[in-house]
Amino acid sequence: MKFALMVTTKPTDPKTVTAINIANSIVAQDHELLGVFFYQEGVLNASEYLCIPNDEYQATRKWIMFTQSTTVPLHLCSTAAEKHGLIEETEQEDFEHVSPAFQVSGLGQLVELSSQADKVIKL
Amino acid sequence: MSESIALINTSGPFGSTEIKDSIDIAMIMGSYEQDVHLYFIGDGVYQLVANQHPELLKVKDVFKTFAAFEFYDIEHLYVCEESLQARGLTEIFHVEGVQVLSKSALKESIHQHKTCLRF
Repeated sequence: MKFALMVTTKPTDPKTVTAINIANSIVAQDHELLGVFFYQEGVLNASEYLCIPNDEYQATRKWIMFTQSTTVPLHLCSTAAEKHGLIEETEQEDFEHVSPAFQVSGLGQLVELSSQADKVIKL
Repeated sequence: MSESIALINTSGPFGSTEIKDSIDIAMIMGSYEQDVHLYFIGDGVYQLVANQHPELLKVKDVFKTFAAFEFYDIEHLYVCEESLQARGLTEIFHVEGVQVLSKSALKESIHQHKTCLRF
């Protein structure tokens, strides 16, 4: 079965842990995960500068390990990323405070994922 | 099963940004010619109440966006009758074409969609 995963929770939220567990389970059970779409506060998972104490769950690190081992793409909603201060457009230069493991995409990517997937899971 | 998408709005308009984030998806779905259906259930019914004043809270006027629904071919709006009654609300909305459905009719309607996203 083809799945798409939508993550709307911040890295410190227990639901983010659940999302990573679901993503790993989908792949482990030989289903196809077309992509993970980060929306709302979920975009904070992609922050390059977020330092969470070592004894806490390292959501960003887990997402990076996940995409590197599975090649499942991690899409970031660009509007949400701008709203949450991860992308900065100035007249001189654009800045992205986004980990390179994540791709900055638009909401159109969500349309594509939801139309191609058999099931969309939103957390 | 049809290829349609349901956006289920269950949050009030001012306590979070759920309304804006859901409407943004509705408009994108509409502009990609997806069959999008909007449901307003629980506190989500407050999103449809007429004559609200977001300017008092210094937040962006998301209600204006609803007026553009027709332009994006977003034509299917449903509100829960029981949720309106429980909150003492009348069926006066700031958008046109809202269908008032009973809980059981809503349940049946929501079941038709391939994808359901709750906000």
